[in-house]
Amino acid sequence: MAPGPGMRRLIRGGGGGRDLRVDFFRGVALWFIFIDHVPGNALGSLTLRNLALCDATEAFVLLAGYAAGLAYGASMDRLGWGLAAAQLARRVGTLYVAHIFLFVVFTAQVGLSAATLDSAAYLDELHLDAFGEQPYRALLEALLLRFQPAFLDILPLYIVLLALLVPVLPLLRRPVLLLGLSLALYLGTRMSGANLPGWLHGGWFFNPLAWQLLFFIGCVLGYRPPGAPAPAVPWHPVLIGLSALLLLLGAAALWATWLSPELMDALPEHVAAVLIEVDKTALHPFRLISMLALAYLLGHAVPTGARWLRGAVAAPFVLLGQHGLPVFCAGIAFSFLGRLALEVSDRWAMQAAVNLAGLLALVAVGAVAAWFRLRSRGTAAPAPPDRRPAVVPPPLPDGAAAPRIAP
Amino acid sequence: MRQASRRAALAMLLLAGLAGPGRAQAVDTTQSCGAPAELLEAGGVALPATARAVQEGKLRILVIGSASVFGPGSSGPQAAWPARMEALLARRFPGLATTVEVRGGRGLLAAETAGLLIAELPVLRPHLVLWQSGTVEAVRAIEPERLTDPLNEGAARVAASGADLVLLDQQFSRFLRANTNIDLYREAIRLVAAAHGVPVLRRYELMHFWAETDRVDLERAPREMRVVVADRLNACLGGAVAALIVDGIAEARGKVSARP
Repeated sequence: MAPGPGMRRLIRGGGGGRDLRVDFFRGVALWFIFIDHVPGNALGSLTLRNLALCDATEAFVLLAGYAAGLAYGASMDRLGWGLAAAQLARRVGTLYVAHIFLFVVFTAQVGLSAATLDSAAYLDELHLDAFGEQPYRALLEALLLRFQPAFLDILPLYIVLLALLVPVLPLLRRPVLLLGLSLALYLGTRMSGANLPGWLHGGWFFNPLAWQLLFFIGCVLGYRPPGAPAPAVPWHPVLIGLSALLLLLGAAALWATWLSPELMDALPEHVAAVLIEVDKTALHPFRLISMLALAYLLGHAVPTGARWLRGAVAAPFVLLGQHGLPVFCAGIAFSFLGRLALEVSDRWAMQAAVNLAGLLALVAVGAVAAWFRLRSRGTAAPAPPDRRPAVVPPPLPDGAAAPRIAP
Repeated sequence: MRQASRRAALAMLLLAGLAGPGRAQAVDTTQSCGAPAELLEAGGVALPATARAVQEGKLRILVIGSASVFGPGSSGPQAAWPARMEALLARRFPGLATTVEVRGGRGLLAAETAGLLIAELPVLRPHLVLWQSGTVEAVRAIEPERLTDPLNEGAARVAASGADLVLLDQQFSRFLRANTNIDLYREAIRLVAAAHGVPVLRRYELMHFWAETDRVDLERAPREMRVVVADRLNACLGGAVAALIVDGIAEARGKVSARP
């Protein structure tokens, strides 16, 4: 089944020339992030975190790196480091503003749900809410990214990761050096326990000094040197076997802890004790390797030209993945609404309504973003990046001549 | 799926229980406000030190946690869940001298309650420690390791002292669920319990069940009913904790009697 003509027009590179697998899986990760950000959501037990020792956050960061390596690497080759760095800086600024906006929305949501509760005494801990106690200080700390309330921790990570890419952009051409430096920082971070400072207790929920490794791996995989094919890890039976084994072990460990402690005693390693050590904050190697193994297996299981990627089921997710930033931000904002809705009722009718409305709203955001990009660039099938003019006049609906910006 | 896997695990446990030595005592659910039996069991974990203390007629329990151990919003300390639990244990084991000490305070992190616990262990020499944690960490979105590390250390200390440990997870409220990443911190407590082979009183699921079935719903209680409902909540919780302890004792006795 093919997507409707409307959606097909909105999808970039639907006719070939673009790796739709990346878009599709990024779209699925964005959808999972929305689901996982609505606690009490019945679908929350079906997302990646229940099946593997990694979750949609790892997928998002790896694919964000891929997209950044692809886009800003091409920019650098075409326009030079300076302009590419300026584009990156503009992106970082957009992300920062988006984060602050979401912070304001979140604070309003907490205030709204606290007001409807009025003074339920058993929720004494409620009063510990930092914003309620020191609003001015909390605002300042939020601006400094040192105060990150629950669920507002991915964008700050993404901001720092993109900012880290600015100085090392030219190293995309020397991937071994880039990954060597990145790995050294990761290992140093894990051994020293260093983290960016938080306001109230400890460091950042997602430590960028550790997570940068996954991001830069994505950048290296995404970057296409001019005239050379995209880098890929070749198919190898040993690697495939190891990846599958690792993922199976991770899934088994996750599931084993749901069984009785007696059964766990019978296992060679004390599974739960190991799992506790698998921290998310500094991207434990298990989580890192699980994500890479999953990406490797999926990358070889799904051929670039798989027909279903162009089908109707995949189309909405491909669309989501092609507009990661607006979809991600909207997803976080929608998840606030979803939480408020589930606060009113968490029966199946509301669950279905929240998830259906959530997915539809995300697709709508993706569609609007795609439509806007089409209208402002005036082309449904853009030329390859190296031949695309920097500024294209927007087509006017009445066919009048567009004012030329370029000389 | 998570629920389903747990159900499957419980079903396996039940089957194992049928095949193995019979349970000494069925869990009494009348005091725990109709909670499903699976939430009142020690999950196949025995509480040997508690069982021995009951045998000897003297049981010391240390309750430690943040605000909720004092039953805030209820009509007074006698209505808080530790006192209700004590009363139910006294009824269940006539002639048993039970002392319950409660330590903690509003807004204490697990790191702080762990300090309290470690300081009190040699002084109070409890047979059983009931340790509630995880709410403050969730509210403040603190790195989960700052919950699991002190819980690990505290659990090891309790084990070294020869006492039994039961962990209590967070309270359920729609507010906490909507505004914190509560599942992550529940998961952390569950993993620590599994790693140390100690039971968890799944307070979150209990309170969710009571709220869902309109048995006890403090969050939606009208203002003038709050104290009454808070008392009822504490009574139900006390009943659930007592049921879990009785189950853990039965488990320990079953193991002892099963030995040749």
